[in-house]
Amino acid sequence: MIDASRNLYAILGIPPEATAEDIREAYRVMARRFHPDANHNQGADVQFRDIAVSYSVLSNPGDRLRYDDAHRHFRDEPAYFSLRAIPSKRVLSTLIEPQVLYLLLDIVPAQRVISARRANVPMNLTLVLDRSTSMRGARLDKVKIAAHHIIDQLSPQDVLAVVSFSDRADVLIPATSVTDKTSLRSTVSIMRADGGTEIYHGLVAGVAECRKYLAPRMVNHVILLTDGRTFGDEQRCLALARQAAEDGIGISAMGMGEEWNDEFLDALAAATGGSSAYINTPRAVLQFLDERVRSLGDAFAERLQLTIAPDADVLLESAFRLNPHPQPLEVERQPIPLGTLEKNRSIRALVQLQMPPSSKTGFRSVVRLDVTGDVLIADRHQYKVISDIAIEIAHEPSPEPPPPAVLDALGKLTLYRMQQKAERALTQGLALEAARQLENLATRLFAAGQDELAHKAIHEARRVSRTQAFSQEGRKSLKFHTRQLLALPAPGNDVP
Amino acid sequence: MKRCPYCGFENREGVLFCEECGQPFVGQADTPDTSRLNPETHETFKERMTWGTARFGEGASVLIRIRDVVEPLVFEPGAETIIGRLDPSALETPDIDLAPYGAAELGVSRRHGMIRRGEDTLTLIDLDSTNGTFLNGQRLIPHQPRVLRDGDEIRMGRFVFNIFFR
Repeated sequence: MIDASRNLYAILGIPPEATAEDIREAYRVMARRFHPDANHNQGADVQFRDIAVSYSVLSNPGDRLRYDDAHRHFRDEPAYFSLRAIPSKRVLSTLIEPQVLYLLLDIVPAQRVISARRANVPMNLTLVLDRSTSMRGARLDKVKIAAHHIIDQLSPQDVLAVVSFSDRADVLIPATSVTDKTSLRSTVSIMRADGGTEIYHGLVAGVAECRKYLAPRMVNHVILLTDGRTFGDEQRCLALARQAAEDGIGISAMGMGEEWNDEFLDALAAATGGSSAYINTPRAVLQFLDERVRSLGDAFAERLQLTIAPDADVLLESAFRLNPHPQPLEVERQPIPLGTLEKNRSIRALVQLQMPPSSKTGFRSVVRLDVTGDVLIADRHQYKVISDIAIEIAHEPSPEPPPPAVLDALGKLTLYRMQQKAERALTQGLALEAARQLENLATRLFAAGQDELAHKAIHEARRVSRTQAFSQEGRKSLKFHTRQLLALPAPGNDVP
Repeated sequence: MKRCPYCGFENREGVLFCEECGQPFVGQADTPDTSRLNPETHETFKERMTWGTARFGEGASVLIRIRDVVEPLVFEPGAETIIGRLDPSALETPDIDLAPYGAAELGVSRRHGMIRRGEDTLTLIDLDSTNGTFLNGQRLIPHQPRVLRDGDEIRMGRFVFNIFFR
């Protein structure tokens, strides 16, 4: 049975009054673009499945009639959120070589829907807290204070669970409504530091607690806090995160100190649309957790997923979520989880595509973007927006400056990428290359007015050329601070 | 293809920031000013696609080689070294005076640029000069420091020199 809330006509790119001939023709065009035999891009097969289903329903007169009838009351529903895409160039030049095209995407919540409904969305939150030996002292104390603070912020409609872990996991607070705050607080207080760090145990217990109250109308989220490196169970953790994402649970991770594995926490967060962060002082724990919980509490829609389906001859090179919570996105797995859409902040992402050489002028389709999400405050699930991006190709188009918003975002992303490049070079044993990249980065950071970070980059460059290694603190600090630059809103580009 | 004026990397068309060194292309992408460089400059620039070190340690000194001038200028930079040309009517004297080498005709300002010494690095800063300062062919934004490397080519107005560390 087909889900009547979906707009099958939009998937085929035709109006509801389309004739049988229009539908056949639209399907032919779409199949040429997205059929897996013709298009090997990851997102294409996701799109084609939708297209095939839509065609099978609409091409059968009886099914079409039944679908039209069932879909009727979704026809006039408001647009809950919209998708805007700004290309780096409006008109491409004909070229015998490939060229790069950037798309800046904004997913914007509809203010009209927000003002009509004020109530906050209930949260189903699980904290997974590292209590290994290395957390002893100030770190664990700050974690406890932060946890207390969160308990104070939650309301009786929310659900909270707290799991602590070292080389085993203890469920300190089984998933429960936040009513008796005093006893919840004192339970957190008895946590003691002891043992090694095995994240998998903590994560399994945490996800299990979160699942108990798993509800589509809630924000279901696990926040992991660790200061250690987990050994050998990374793959199991990632598999668990992907499963959690499918069930509608997001995971955010924060690493304290210098030991933890940032690439792993990044992958963990990316798998669910969550975020990861680096905390270099125990004091910042409170700030991060507070911000994270506030952001979840401000949810407009949850479990947002983006599919990027380029045409067969277009290559999807990378995608990066800029706002909120800057995070590299995994384009190899589609749809791509984007996490929470807040009421007052749009989700912004930058997509990099490579266009093929072309001699033909005129408009051509480039990519289909598809965003799906559960609109919590309107109880509308799997709301979908589709946008087909087309672009004009001309002989010697008049030059145009790239849009400032694209330039701004890309400039900052470039800084982050340079840091990543230096890291990659060093992993390959190319210390000189890494040092050179860091010096380049320093130059760009100076130009961006980020003197403090620039000095850090110079410092690391010297260290790398001397010792062939980064300092753990410097490397993480550069990575997460250059990434953090992305989060600052570009002046004049705020959501109205 | 679009060659980065800063590092020489061949970028694909449409790229807005050099994929190798991160330099922005905007403002230059559609108006390449390569024609203004004379062939000789271009040669010296191409000869060393690999970069000298940016490290400038304690006790190191700077050697400035001015085109067509045999004897290099050698100096040990202080915290800030002003480069410009001495104008008898002005009260100020730049730390490095380029006037004897024909700086006035080549468009060097009185206070043209500055080399600032940091912890183990030198940075070059344009002091809002009339004709601009160029590092390896790329124009500096006034008052924004850029890290100097051993062997870099600096152009002030049309006055060209190379800087070496030793």
